[in-house]
Amino acid sequence: MLAKLNSYGLIGITGAPITVEVDLSSGMQRVDTVGLPDNAVKESKERVRSAIINSGYAYPEMKVLVNLAPADIKKEGTVYDLPIALGILAARGLFPLHAADEYIIIGELALDGAVRSVTGVLPMVINAYERGFRHVMLPAENAEEASFFADMKVYPVSDLNAAVGHFRGYTPIEPIPQLKWEEQPVHYSHDFAEIKGQQHAKRAAEIAVAGNHNLLMIGSPGSGKTMLARSIPSILPELSMAESLEITRIHSVAGELRGTGGIVRERPFRAPHHSASIPALVGGGSRALPGEISLAHYGVLFMDEFPQFPTPVLEALRQPLEDGVVTITRASAKTTYPAEFMLVAAMNPCPCGNFGSKTKECRCSPAQIEKYRNRISSPLLDRLDIHIEMVEVDYSELTSKTQGESSAAIRARVSAARRVQAERYKDEGILFNSQLNTPLMRRYCRMEPEAEELLHTAYDRFKLSARAYTRVIKVARTIADLAGDAQIKKQHVLEAVGFRGLDQKYWGSR
Amino acid sequence: MELDQKERAWLWLSDSLGAAVTAAEKLIFRNDGLLPLFDAALKRGPVGFPDELKPKQRADLIAKASQSYIDSLISAYDKMGVACVTRDSEGYPRLLREIYDPPLLLFVKGRPLQQIPLPVAVIGARKCSDYGRQMAAYFGHELASHGACVVSGLAAGCDSAAANGALTAKSAAYPTVAVLGSGVDIAYPASSSALYEAIAERGSVVSELKPGTRPGKSTFPQRNRIISGMSKGVLVCEAGATSGTRITVDFAHEQGRDVFAVPGRLTDLMSVGTNGLIKSGAAKPVFGVDDILYEYGLFTVDSPPPVRRADTSKLSAPQRKLYELLLLGEKTADTLCEQSGFSASDVNMYLTEMELSGIIRQLPKGEYSL
Repeated sequence: MLAKLNSYGLIGITGAPITVEVDLSSGMQRVDTVGLPDNAVKESKERVRSAIINSGYAYPEMKVLVNLAPADIKKEGTVYDLPIALGILAARGLFPLHAADEYIIIGELALDGAVRSVTGVLPMVINAYERGFRHVMLPAENAEEASFFADMKVYPVSDLNAAVGHFRGYTPIEPIPQLKWEEQPVHYSHDFAEIKGQQHAKRAAEIAVAGNHNLLMIGSPGSGKTMLARSIPSILPELSMAESLEITRIHSVAGELRGTGGIVRERPFRAPHHSASIPALVGGGSRALPGEISLAHYGVLFMDEFPQFPTPVLEALRQPLEDGVVTITRASAKTTYPAEFMLVAAMNPCPCGNFGSKTKECRCSPAQIEKYRNRISSPLLDRLDIHIEMVEVDYSELTSKTQGESSAAIRARVSAARRVQAERYKDEGILFNSQLNTPLMRRYCRMEPEAEELLHTAYDRFKLSARAYTRVIKVARTIADLAGDAQIKKQHVLEAVGFRGLDQKYWGSR
Repeated sequence: MELDQKERAWLWLSDSLGAAVTAAEKLIFRNDGLLPLFDAALKRGPVGFPDELKPKQRADLIAKASQSYIDSLISAYDKMGVACVTRDSEGYPRLLREIYDPPLLLFVKGRPLQQIPLPVAVIGARKCSDYGRQMAAYFGHELASHGACVVSGLAAGCDSAAANGALTAKSAAYPTVAVLGSGVDIAYPASSSALYEAIAERGSVVSELKPGTRPGKSTFPQRNRIISGMSKGVLVCEAGATSGTRITVDFAHEQGRDVFAVPGRLTDLMSVGTNGLIKSGAAKPVFGVDDILYEYGLFTVDSPPPVRRADTSKLSAPQRKLYELLLLGEKTADTLCEQSGFSASDVNMYLTEMELSGIIRQLPKGEYSL
């Protein structure tokens, strides 16, 4: 007897339909799994056997052949437990052979027959939806991930018996109610209103987010760098459904969705430790999994202690920062993951952190300080458009009466400025001021004569490097966009020069 | 360069012994004078060695005692543009000869040392605050403009600020001397290499270590005795509690030089050392360049006090408000936002404009100061 069911696998972060065929034939009792299964799939027969027996069914005393088609895609993970078990039971005639034809079935089995959650459900469901499938049976814990698709019926299944009952038609499982995208509230874990003082840094963050500029914060321990960075996702524009699904897909593949309610609604905030390796950061490993930069897609990648990251790791960031995608090649797989993130880097002014302090003595030698700062190469520094110095807030300011502005208010301004940019660059294939190259800058960064003159004065007086000069212009463009001005005016340049970067101060003349 | 027999003897001695002045003096004493010692060595006759000298040094001294070797040294130094000034040379600083352990020989790159007018050392911590750097630059400039020569050590921080300040005195004939803790041909630290070139051009760079010697842990304290030794007085611009300037100050006292110190705020860690010198009477507090020049019989009429006064007539009303807040001391942009009530973007704008017109400056830690 032959049973055929539909399941799903993953190639990178894209789902791929897999047909599970189970054939029972007379012979010695044994199970063979063919179709490029990996170890987790091969072990599946042991779980399936126990799950069937412990759910109260008889395990067939026959030869079982499981084929996973198409046979040329590598099958990984545990999602095939449930379809294999159901296939065996269907082949035994426990429910009509064609009852499950329209279904996608995904799930891992526990030995007692319970269905466990699996990773990577969302990309599978997206692909299934696009291919016209409208019925999916998922582990109950994963069901919510698939709940945003119109007229898609999602059946949460808690154990093998429930699945069999459903297909026999005795105890059908209720599909879960569909969720509407817009009605889902977005919760932000941090808000700008919670940050007291730090007006300067908050303004810098607003500008950075508006023009998608990468941000470098320099300040002693305890000056609020992490707090500010953590709050940045809350002033980024709200995610659209497409963006959200893309993020969720990546997180789903990496198995990072627990506790998010199935779909990522808040902009990701990733803060890898400085001991992170290149594969951990940009992605890799034997299965070519996404790294931190892809997990930070459409969100913020916060790198505290920036100079402490090994140089090869820092340099590996340059290409994805430029392209917004990262391609990982391994012997078994070649995968491209999106990686459009805003880089927020933080560093101490010197290894001990007390450089420049009037009350605490800095114990670093000038050579140590120089070595520490030089760990950040010029090309990398060049990609950090806005530099700010963070200063510890003193107690009097913490208790001050002025209430900080809420993230929602800032978000509204940021969203408006981003819309202006998207409209202006719609024919250029870019979205943000930070992506401007020299010819585009000449076209779009027109300045009033006064502003131009001022920029030249600043260039001479502050001995700006050529890099710093272009950074100032891009940032001035963003400030003008925030103010709603088509032309860059004098006051915009003045403010941008204030964020000109601390190259001169911290990195000498380079 | 032409060297007489005695100078050649010093060159021979210093080439092997370097800064080991005591050992060299014992060696000379044992052999009844420099020339008899040199003669004996040249003729490979008996030479009496003091216990300090290790067998290796003794062998080295004998091996190098040949006129042809000394000729080769001289022509090599000529090519490098380095002059050798021995204890018996005309150009050897008179003040330096008076100290307990004057260098056997000075290597000089730049202008002859005889031309140095009034030498005054200006020193301070390498890791100095903006105040220290500012004071070093001010005193460096004023001293050089009033005919003194600034002696310093080319180190980062106060030393280079003082030398840079001296070099800005365009009229000064001999603005500054740098005494190195390495060979005279090595600009250390590397960040001072541009300054090194400028000093060698308008003043001179001096060291008792032979060219090519790398800086080491002990070479700097040794060097400090020359800084104070060749100066009439030593001005300490800024020093913390454990600053290395203490070594130079101790030498200056031993050598009977005047010590001056720039007072700092009682709350500043970086001024603990200088304020301590003043408190204990080890240094005379200076409030302007006159306080130093007065000691040497020089009087000025036009030297400005070290107070920054900017033209504030063109300031707009909000800028004036920020200016007045800054008069009370340096502040961060955030504090200025808080105290003025202006928005962050406005404050940033005003500050940049004032910085562009040179009224205020940015300090580390995001502070602004007049």
